[in-house]
Amino acid sequence: MVEAYVTGIGMIRVGRHFGEGLRSLAARAAFEALESSGSRDVDAVIVASTASYRGAAQLDLAGHIAGSLGLRGAQTLAVEAGDASGLAAVEAAWSMVKSGAASRVLVVGVDKLTDYVSSRVYRELQRLYEAELQALYDIGHAGLAGLLARLYMERYGVDRETLSYWPAMDHAHGKHNPYAMLQFAIDPKAVAKALTVAEPLTLLDSFPIGDGAAAIVIEGEPRGEALARVALALSAAGYPSLTMAEDPLKMDSAAVTAARMREVSGYTISDMDVVELGDPFTSIGVILAESLGLSQPGKAAVDAAEGRFTVGGEGPVVNASGGFKARGHPIGATGVYMVAEVAMQVSGSFPGLKVDGARRGVAVAASGDGSSTHLVLVEEVR
Amino acid sequence: MSMDLSVPETWRVRGPLYRLEAARCRACGRIHYPPLPACPYCGSRDLERVRLPERGILESFTILYSVPEGSRHKAPIVLGLVRLGAARVVAEITDVDPGDLKTGMEVEAVLRRIRSDREAGIIRYGIAFRPLLRGGGGGR
Repeated sequence: MVEAYVTGIGMIRVGRHFGEGLRSLAARAAFEALESSGSRDVDAVIVASTASYRGAAQLDLAGHIAGSLGLRGAQTLAVEAGDASGLAAVEAAWSMVKSGAASRVLVVGVDKLTDYVSSRVYRELQRLYEAELQALYDIGHAGLAGLLARLYMERYGVDRETLSYWPAMDHAHGKHNPYAMLQFAIDPKAVAKALTVAEPLTLLDSFPIGDGAAAIVIEGEPRGEALARVALALSAAGYPSLTMAEDPLKMDSAAVTAARMREVSGYTISDMDVVELGDPFTSIGVILAESLGLSQPGKAAVDAAEGRFTVGGEGPVVNASGGFKARGHPIGATGVYMVAEVAMQVSGSFPGLKVDGARRGVAVAASGDGSSTHLVLVEEVR
Repeated sequence: MSMDLSVPETWRVRGPLYRLEAARCRACGRIHYPPLPACPYCGSRDLERVRLPERGILESFTILYSVPEGSRHKAPIVLGLVRLGAARVVAEITDVDPGDLKTGMEVEAVLRRIRSDREAGIIRYGIAFRPLLRGGGGGR
């Protein structure tokens, strides 16, 4: 059986890169990944981005990016799965390598959100949610997360201050990550007092708007040193809208994904040493954590407040990178950052908060309010 | 003002948008909104259109300050998760002082202007919900 290894990684710091377009951002990450993998040749280039779906953006983005990287002749494919695009791209690369369809695949996640004013970005991003009807309303990028936050607090009796420990955890971790957009800690007490985004959620519950690019090389028979092994990549579709979910506080797509991981690998999410978890908003983060089985319903923020998900806690360590909140969330690119971060943790080379002795971890994110969940399981190379 | 409102797009969803049309599955009996080509619960394609009740319960609400382009004059916008019989909808909550909102309150559907596109001259209407007015002087 062919295995799939991560042999090269490149990331740029998430931020406001006004001077660089998609090609330039992608090139910096991709060149670094290719150099560190020891070879410039690839069979295929998979690009994860949501940029192609925005006005005036490049179509056939994968073809254009591959061509701009000097990789003419490579097989190309663009992948879009909303918030989870980067993970879906790794899933595609893993399938190609495992099946033998390609032996060296470059995955590039790249997105740019800072070319326009925030209100336009909110308009674009509300299409992460059911867009045929729901996004005809002015739900913005944060509206549904706000609805879920109130529902969560009232159902479980979780107060605002407790919820605030989740983003504070992200920031406490992210301040050590040189690739994080926001490299500072925050006081949980400051969260409720910040600018309101979608009450009860504030700016400190919300991911920052930034640009980014990350790239990894996935290889079947490594020519050089392998950093980590991609053991499994899977995903599940869920309800197209939280209005249809049996329980809006349980993401069906995440529960199915976690159950399938257990079926295939024997692992639950609590067996992981590290977890990179998609938390564009505090409410989405705690609901995803609980739906995956990382915490009991209503307990994810309490667990975070008690230090369970940080180094020295019961574990796993969640969002050592800073998560969507502090590392940032350049939408289509983020999943590639997440897989790179887990691979660096299990190889002991992560330049931020290190989880000593980490042997396995997952990168997992849902798109929107759970239309699909994607998960990549990464293990150390033995 | 962005020219991003589409007449055909709005026309296609006139049933759910103006009349609260949902789909009921003839196989499992469950109702979902907005209507899909197959039942999200059992996968059956044997569906019929039903209208949701116009009165319901406010299960959650949020006051949105990060308002999308084209609607900033409406800020802040109150959004609600409304339980209508066997289904739920997300829509704007209108005619209310945000301070008076409480989960569990009864609301009723009204037709309201949702967005307009001045350049293209398009106005989009849709269902919003307002607190149910009680007889005997229940104020807004």
